[in-house]
Amino acid sequence: MKNKIEERIKNVMSAVFEIAVDKFDEDSSPDNIESWGSLNHMKLIVSLEEEFNVQFTDDDITELINMKLIIAVLLEKLPVYRS
Amino acid sequence: MKYSKILKLNKELEHTIQSDQYNINILSNIIVHQLKELLEFNLRDKDINALVGIGDYDNIVQDSIKFKESNAIIIFWELCNIIDGLQYKIELLNRDRFNEILKKTKNEIDFVLRNLQKTSLVLINKFTAHSFSSLNIRKNKLEELADQLNQYIKKKIPANVRVVELEKVIANIGLEKSLDLRYFYSSKALYTVDFFKAYAEYIKPLLISANGKAKKALIFDCDNTLWKGILGEDGFDNIEMSSRTKDGAIFAEIQAMALALNKQGVLIGLCSKNNPEDVDEVIKSHSDMQLSSEHIAINKINWSDKVNNLKEIAEELNIGLDSLVFIDDSSFEVNLIKEQQPEITVLQVPKELHEYPKMLRENIGLFYNFSFTAEDRKKTEMYNQQAKREVVKREFIDIGDYLASLELKMIILKNDQSIIPRISQLSQKTNQFNLTTKRYTEGDIDNFINDPSSTVYGFSVSDKFGDSGVTGLSIVTVNQTTETAEIDSFLMSCRVIGRNVEYAFLDYIIQQIKEKKITVLNAKYNKTQKNELVKEFYDKCSFILTKSTDSVRHYKLDINNYEPNRLKYIEIVDEK
Repeated sequence: MKNKIEERIKNVMSAVFEIAVDKFDEDSSPDNIESWGSLNHMKLIVSLEEEFNVQFTDDDITELINMKLIIAVLLEKLPVYRS
Repeated sequence: MKYSKILKLNKELEHTIQSDQYNINILSNIIVHQLKELLEFNLRDKDINALVGIGDYDNIVQDSIKFKESNAIIIFWELCNIIDGLQYKIELLNRDRFNEILKKTKNEIDFVLRNLQKTSLVLINKFTAHSFSSLNIRKNKLEELADQLNQYIKKKIPANVRVVELEKVIANIGLEKSLDLRYFYSSKALYTVDFFKAYAEYIKPLLISANGKAKKALIFDCDNTLWKGILGEDGFDNIEMSSRTKDGAIFAEIQAMALALNKQGVLIGLCSKNNPEDVDEVIKSHSDMQLSSEHIAINKINWSDKVNNLKEIAEELNIGLDSLVFIDDSSFEVNLIKEQQPEITVLQVPKELHEYPKMLRENIGLFYNFSFTAEDRKKTEMYNQQAKREVVKREFIDIGDYLASLELKMIILKNDQSIIPRISQLSQKTNQFNLTTKRYTEGDIDNFINDPSSTVYGFSVSDKFGDSGVTGLSIVTVNQTTETAEIDSFLMSCRVIGRNVEYAFLDYIIQQIKEKKITVLNAKYNKTQKNELVKEFYDKCSFILTKSTDSVRHYKLDINNYEPNRLKYIEIVDEK
C-alpha cells in the first residue's frame, strides 16, 4: 500500500516541480529539489489534496517538507491504508 | 480533471503546439499563480499557443506599463488587498479616509486602463466583497466600496476592456469552495484551484474569440435532437417540440436557444438521416417548429455518411471544419465523427433529457464573438472625449506622479538590535530581489552588528495608507586601510517591489560609505534559479562589470563617479 501511495505522490510531484518521476525518493525536499519554492509548495499541497481527497491543516502545510513526512501524514489521513 | 494532471498535460502541450505565441499577462495585487497553467492548458487545448505571465505582487499600476504590449491582459484587482488588511480596517475608517481610498483606486483604474488602451484585450474583474461579507444583513463598508468601484468601471469602460463577473464564477462553484483562507494570511493567496478552474473556463470564450477561433455554425441532427421522436416512425403529428408536453418543452427550449444564437450571427444547419421531403414539411408547416427556412442556412437531409455531409456543409458555408459544432443523440454517430474528423466539435444529447438545455447552455461560449458593435464604437468615442476632458484634472500622468501620490517614506534602521529576528528571516526567505542570496542566522546578524567593520541596514517603507514593516536589508563591510567597501547583501521583500525604493536605498548606503572616506565599492550578483529579476541591477546603477561567469557577476564602483538617483517622491528618514 505504501508503495502505491509513494508512486502517486511522485507523479504529483513530477507534475508540480516539472522533474522526471524517477528523480524523487524518500529524501526529496526543498534542499535537493530546486523548484520546490514557496509558490510551488502551495501547488503541491493543493495537488496532493485533490489526488488523495484529503484536507491538510495549517500545521501539516508547514510540516510537509520532504517525501517521508508527506507519506507519513497521508497514511494517517487515509483510513483505508491504516492497519 | 485534476490539477496535477493539468500541470502535466500543459507541459506536454507546450512542446507540441505550433501556432504563434499568444501572450497573456496577469496583473494582480494578490497571489494568483495557480491560474497560469490552468489558463494555458485551457487555451493550448484549443490550439492557441498561450503563454501566461504573472506580474509582480501588488504591482498592477507599474505592470500596466511594463506589459502593455501583451496580446491580452487580465487584471485581478482584489478588493480586500487594495490596502493591506482592508477587509477589517475599512469598518473603522471615517468618511474622509474611505473617500480617499475610493479616489485613490479610481485614479489607479484610470491610469491603468489608459496605459493599456492599445492592448487589444483587457479583462478586469468586477470587485466583490462576498469573500468577507458572510450572510450579514447589514451592508458592510467593503460592499459599499465594491459597489462604488463597480459603478465607476461600468461608466467608463473602453471598448478593448471586458468586465469579468467574478461573482458569477463564485456563484457557480459556491463561496465555500472558492476560498482557501489558509494561504491568505501568510501568503496573500485567497482562491482555491477549483475557483481558478472555473475562472479559466469562464474567460476562455473571450480569449478564443480574440484568437479568431470562435465557432461559427451550429448543426443539428433532427430526430431526438431538434424534436422528441423519430419522424419516419412516429409521424408528423407525433413528434414533440412544444411546451405543452413534458419532453416537448425541452426541445422548445433548445430551438429557442438556437434561434437566439442565430440572431447573434451563428449559422444554423441540419444534418440528419431522414427523408428530405418529410423534414422539409416539418420546417415549412409544423406549427411548433420555431426554426424556419429563413434561419436554417444549410441542410443535408439524406441517408449518406454524416462525416461527408458535415464536410460539404463546411465547404458550402465556406468555413473551416473547426468552426462547426454538431449535435446528435446517437453515440454511434458522435463517436464516428469524433474519430474521423476530430476538428469538428461534437456534442451529444444527454441520456437524461432534462440536462439537454443545460448542456447546450454550457457550450454557448463556443460561439462567443466580441467583434465591435456600433454601441461599442460609440462607447469608445465617449471614452476618448471623456479622457480628453479629464486631462486637466488627471491625478497622475506618469509613474513618477503615481509614486508621488503614494507619499512614500523609507525609514532606515541601522545596526538595530531589536529587528535581528526579522532581518535574519528576510535573509532566509527572500529569493527574487536578492543580489547575493546569503542566508544568515540571528547569530550571524548579531555578529555583523557588533563588528565595527560591517554595518547592517534595514528599511521599512510606508505610504499614506500603511506601513510595510521591515522589508529591505543590506549588509556592507568596509576596509578602511584599502579604502574599499563591499556589499555583502542587498535584498528586498517582493511586497515592496515596483516602488523604486531600492534606488533610494542604494543612494543612502553610498552616501554613508562616502562619509567614511571610502573610494571603491565592490558588489556581486550571485545567480540563483529565482533572482533573474535583479541580474542587471548594478548595471542600471552605473557600477562597472569587471568579471562575469555563469554564476557570478562582479562589479566595481568608483564612489566619486556615482550619480545618485535622488528620487523626489521617496522621503528618507534616518532612525539612528
